[in-house]
Amino acid sequence: MSKPELWVVAERRLDHIEPTTQQLITKATRLAGDHFHVVTVLLEATTDHLEDELQPYGPDEIRIVRDDRFPTATDAELADALKQLIDAAHPNTVLFGATITGRSIAPRLQAKLQTGLTADCLDLRFDDETLVATKPSYGDNIMCEIICPDRRPQMATVRPNTFVAQPQADATPAITTAHITFHPVARLHVTAATPVVNTATTVGDASRVVALGRGAANEDTIASATQLAEKLGGRIGVSRPLTDQDRFTHDDQIGQSGNTIHPDLILNFGISGAVQYLVGMQDSQTIVSVNSDPNAPIFAASDYGYVGDAQAFMTALLAQFA
Amino acid sequence: MKIVVCIKQVPETNDVTIDPHTHNLDRRGLAGVMNPFDKNAVEQALQLKAATDAEVVLLTMGPDDYAQSLREGMAMGADSGVLLSDRAFAGADTLATGYVLAQAIAKIGDVDLIIFGRQAVDADTGQVGPIVAEFLHQPQITYAATLRLSGPNEVTAERLLEDTKQTLVAQLPAVVSVRSELNTPRYPTPRNIQLSFTKPLTTWHHDDLDLDDTRLGQAGSPTIVTKVYAPTPVKRALTPLTGTPQEAASQLIKALKDRQLL
Repeated sequence: MSKPELWVVAERRLDHIEPTTQQLITKATRLAGDHFHVVTVLLEATTDHLEDELQPYGPDEIRIVRDDRFPTATDAELADALKQLIDAAHPNTVLFGATITGRSIAPRLQAKLQTGLTADCLDLRFDDETLVATKPSYGDNIMCEIICPDRRPQMATVRPNTFVAQPQADATPAITTAHITFHPVARLHVTAATPVVNTATTVGDASRVVALGRGAANEDTIASATQLAEKLGGRIGVSRPLTDQDRFTHDDQIGQSGNTIHPDLILNFGISGAVQYLVGMQDSQTIVSVNSDPNAPIFAASDYGYVGDAQAFMTALLAQFA
Repeated sequence: MKIVVCIKQVPETNDVTIDPHTHNLDRRGLAGVMNPFDKNAVEQALQLKAATDAEVVLLTMGPDDYAQSLREGMAMGADSGVLLSDRAFAGADTLATGYVLAQAIAKIGDVDLIIFGRQAVDADTGQVGPIVAEFLHQPQITYAATLRLSGPNEVTAERLLEDTKQTLVAQLPAVVSVRSELNTPRYPTPRNIQLSFTKPLTTWHHDDLDLDDTRLGQAGSPTIVTKVYAPTPVKRALTPLTGTPQEAASQLIKALKDRQLL
């Protein structure tokens, strides 16, 4: 009997593969062992070769469907294409990145398949052939383990940057093609798609992060932090209270259904360290925290800590960088 | 034009704890409020109402006390509220919730636009909007950053993907979920608060809807929560930086150089 299939649905990000796809392939191949056949499903245009960006991560198979309408297809059209592929192959499990695209297509597909979908997962494991997905709730204050015992495929969207993508030296996935009938949805059209000029994207993509919390929220501190981030080649991130300011959005937020991050270096200023924040950044390589409260929980999760004024410390740091 | 806004009631704070004995969520004493992201959806509907004289109907599924979130939305200016409340609906996951909402929207009838907030702040899934869209065979625009009527039967929205801005045009009826950055929800005026108690609030039970019982509540939910726990942050060995800010900064720079981060 052939092995059950574990799918990762590849996502396009402009002319490339969205990094979460590669992270998920790495995780899927580790979970699979000898028990699952890991398939990356790729919907691309006839002139695309996005499989070249998937191959090094070593799924067992890259299954490609080509249609020139895919790059601009809408959620319902993509969900329909995936439904046809699933009906043909009956995968055990289907994984998506919990990106905006993934979180839009997967539930639509879930409704077509009448199966279970667990959102925005922070961990995955298998008990035999049952996927156990760890999902945060209540702004990451609570973790839930969720299973879908009876229906297949079982599905999950996984938060970007939860897993680390690792190429394999000897990866030789089988490249296969599959076919579907593209059913256009006449009532919805993408009339324009423009790359957002600021490619600093989200805080989850930065390798250096200067993070600001309630204790470092004034204009001067934000200006100094911006300079510091520039010197470090990094980006500003914020904890939950600062997302109330107009200049910061969910793309800037660390923890709490924002971004789980693991940069090389994070400097925390004026952040006391709520549980969801600590969990959201605890995989950073080096953690430095400055807070005026010596009892702030952030210090217990840090490599280096300074009890004192955030602004004064930043000013001193900037002076010594010059 | 008729707009339905689907809303959820959530605890007023996310600082929930786990009961150490039962391992269940301890939500005692937490008041319910309208999901903050849903206020953006209500606000968007009210702006469209101002432009087109649309009728705005609020819809929610939950226990009887969810009526207070419907009242809250009517105090903002919505015209009426529908509460879907029945023990048969309890324990529903996103799929079973979406099914009942879709059947209720079909019963409301002649709905042109269905608006959702981006997600609920307690469960954080954002799945119910697309599920309802699929069940009703309608096009969807998720995470809309702007939304306007661009024709008698058409909406235009902008959607921010990770690094692309899309413009989409949908023929109505359609489902839209909105980002919180799209507007600032209005506060209820005293007059609207007073008026809200004269506006119709209807409760529909199981028998008021055309439902397949195998798709309801816990039994109709494919997913099961098997474990609930509080995450424990990983502790690290802290090296204190000491002295004046200048001294501490130079200690840090040395440490970062040692770690080859500078």
